[in-house]
Amino acid sequence: MTHESSRRSAFRFAAFLLILWLAAQGKAQTLPDLGPPVRTDQVKSGSLLIATDRPGVFLPAPALETDVVIRVTGIVARATVRQRFANTAGDCVEGVYVFPLPESAAVDRMRLTIGERVIEAEIRERLEAKRVYEQAKSEGKKASLLEQERPNIFTASVASIGPNEEVEIEIEYQETVRYDEGKFHLRFPMVVAPRYIPGGAAVEGSPGMGWAANTDQVADAARITPAVMRPGETRANPMRLRVELEAGVKLRRLASTTHALQAAPIGDVSYAVTVAEEALAADRDFELNWEPDLGDRPKPAVFAENLDGQVYAILVVLPPDGAAVPGARLPRETIFVIDTSGSMYGPSIDQARRSLVFALDRLHPEDRFNIIEFNHVMRRLYGESRRALSETVGEAKDWVGRLQANGGTEMLPALRAALEGAAQGSEVRQVVFVTDGGVGNEEELFRYIHDHLGRSRLFTVGIGSAPNSHFMTKAAEFGRGTFTYVGSPGEVDEKMGGLFRKLESPVLTDVRVEWDDPAVEAWPEKIPDLYAGEPLLVAARLSSSAGSVRVSGERAGARWNERVPVRLSSDQRGVDRLWARRKIAALMDRMTGGANRDSVKCEVVDVALRHHLVSSFTSLVAVDLTPTLARGAVCAARAVPVHLPAGWDHGHVFGEMPQTATPARLFLLLAAALAALAVILHRPGSGGAS
Amino acid sequence: MTGQFATLPGPPPRSRLRRVCVFLLVAAALLFGQGAWIYAKAFVAQVLLQRAWRLTVRGGKTVAPWPRADTWPIARLRAPRLREDVIVLAGASGRSLAFGPGHLDGSARPGEPGNCVISAHRDTQFAFLRRLEIGDVVEMETPEGDRHRYRVFERRVAHKRQVGFLENTPDPTLSLVTCYPFDAVAPGGPLRYVVRARQEGAPR
Repeated sequence: MTHESSRRSAFRFAAFLLILWLAAQGKAQTLPDLGPPVRTDQVKSGSLLIATDRPGVFLPAPALETDVVIRVTGIVARATVRQRFANTAGDCVEGVYVFPLPESAAVDRMRLTIGERVIEAEIRERLEAKRVYEQAKSEGKKASLLEQERPNIFTASVASIGPNEEVEIEIEYQETVRYDEGKFHLRFPMVVAPRYIPGGAAVEGSPGMGWAANTDQVADAARITPAVMRPGETRANPMRLRVELEAGVKLRRLASTTHALQAAPIGDVSYAVTVAEEALAADRDFELNWEPDLGDRPKPAVFAENLDGQVYAILVVLPPDGAAVPGARLPRETIFVIDTSGSMYGPSIDQARRSLVFALDRLHPEDRFNIIEFNHVMRRLYGESRRALSETVGEAKDWVGRLQANGGTEMLPALRAALEGAAQGSEVRQVVFVTDGGVGNEEELFRYIHDHLGRSRLFTVGIGSAPNSHFMTKAAEFGRGTFTYVGSPGEVDEKMGGLFRKLESPVLTDVRVEWDDPAVEAWPEKIPDLYAGEPLLVAARLSSSAGSVRVSGERAGARWNERVPVRLSSDQRGVDRLWARRKIAALMDRMTGGANRDSVKCEVVDVALRHHLVSSFTSLVAVDLTPTLARGAVCAARAVPVHLPAGWDHGHVFGEMPQTATPARLFLLLAAALAALAVILHRPGSGGAS
Repeated sequence: MTGQFATLPGPPPRSRLRRVCVFLLVAAALLFGQGAWIYAKAFVAQVLLQRAWRLTVRGGKTVAPWPRADTWPIARLRAPRLREDVIVLAGASGRSLAFGPGHLDGSARPGEPGNCVISAHRDTQFAFLRRLEIGDVVEMETPEGDRHRYRVFERRVAHKRQVGFLENTPDPTLSLVTCYPFDAVAPGGPLRYVVRARQEGAPR
């Protein structure tokens, strides 16, 4: 009996010690000067907060609403984007919103609306505009500033928004609608997708409020990476979008690949289109397509406008279809490049895989091919291109099926690998680049394509809900290929089929545009090769509206000609701005080609100021002359956070710090609890002499 | 004594109770074993790693710490004031973290300009992070035998998504990351404890 009880008490003592130890372990612990840690899941939904670099400190962001109205007349679209900044905080703020516009948008107008007052913005050189804005801000005046960060990324800043006040800015732009493969495409981007920022720390760069720091490869990274809402945060900055479409011809089809529509015809050839959803989440691009009735192919035309004694004209010609021209299919080498970075995770990588499988099936046995996949590392399927035999194609499909999306986007090594093989062989060499273009170092990549293209041709395929179409379009332009956008898995066959028709049909080369007017200044200077279904678009400034223009080109050994008369049209406004925007784009391309930055800047500023356009070097600024806040009032600058594009996964894009705890302690705790339970159940007297 | 219960089916309640107790104790022992195994693995691995490290430094090339290892030692981290001395492994995957602190792939190497990020479990090798103070010296030894001295300038709690701490810096910086709070029982929390140190002087 004594032996028994002593055993029992020893056991109880051990259990007691264990519990004591565990209690000591579980004791709250204090760390100096760290403040209470805040978990993001404690942030109430419905409040739009922005994180600061101090953990646990959040600031309310200005609320934003956007209204977009796009009016399309023929091939010209004029858009009004209204952004309403509301300050819900108790102190004054400066609202900062980084947002996208179409990459070819000629932004020529901004109005600042405060209650009843409307202030028209002026175009100034960028630094000067910034100075005017800062001056107004320091004097407690309301002001707005619109800056261009990339051809498709803009920053709107609104100063001195008092507590519970609302300020509206209205931005207008003009662009030409894209025509391709028998359809018109109107795109409106809604969100600046997070981009991969390569490079090391920058010595200097422009200050910004983004999540990335400036690097030696992307000197303005902080300006093009707006803070992204975390998963679980409610949908903010709602959008409304309306399109007034004066097609001018009867339509066979009017549809959107991205949103559900409500379209009402107005007369025979016009439509009012709204997005069915009441308030859109700005998390994916909007695309509207319309297809003219058969026989209503765009006819060769010149739209001209007389302005201040000069005539500005846009020439649109759709060359005859390549399929009509007989031409033997030549064997080719096709290099597929597929982006497998974290931003492609989810539906995007599925679309990319399907696109690639579709493309592999279109290869002929005499063709050669290779596949390159890249995230922050680059991998090739084969050391060098192989014939597209059934076993290699099967192998390639298996390989593609296993691709996973994760990691960074180091695009340069992949581009290098894709273009370097051009030295051997003489067949047609086509590089098909499947990506969302989520990079910040576009200029560096363009320069590489420009310098190393050789006999290769680069075709970009844009994937996902918000691809960087500036990168896609320009890369294809420098690569002398085309850009194809695949918006949803359902579109893969149609869009990739169209791309392959282009890859396979003869190209219209040596395109020449000759104007009767000797004093003409036309852009682009060098006309690119045209692929099947692509129109030729040239903007020109003429001294008079007399005469005509002759267009010619060569396809499959045959010469093709077309003569179009220049005709002033009364319903075209702002053709000069389309011309100026094209001139600026061409000048900026020269810089990529190695031209002196200062002389290019000089020319760009000159054109932009004359035509009232926002550019990399010019900004729109509006200042309200009446101060509304006390002089010297300091308003905190607060960024409007943006959505993560639909289908993107936060963890795969931004990553997380590693998981750094083991379940060891949990196991020990459970072990002790079970042991303690056993001891308690083993009551006194129960385990007696049995 | 037990006769009056003889007609009841099954074992008497006391004996059933005992079975439950035995079961509980066995389960406790198993769980205890599992927990202890995690600590033992971390401890034994460091002994093997110290050996592999000596061979690495002497031989000038990487040495696998044990047969079929998928990671290897890349640096030795010491906190002289706390008498802590651990070998850092390549990669910060869950598998290598079971054995020792892991160097985040793609972050700067010790002594290089940029941010050298090392993470380890809060309950094993990096339990000492809570005792590191601002101004403390942390040393990193590379396989080439260079010793880089870093001085702690910052300690903070961050959310796991605040990956800004992993970004590159102009100066050679060392970021030590572990889970927070240190005494939480269950793994998988959203917070991290980050200690940052800046390089001082030339390597020795």
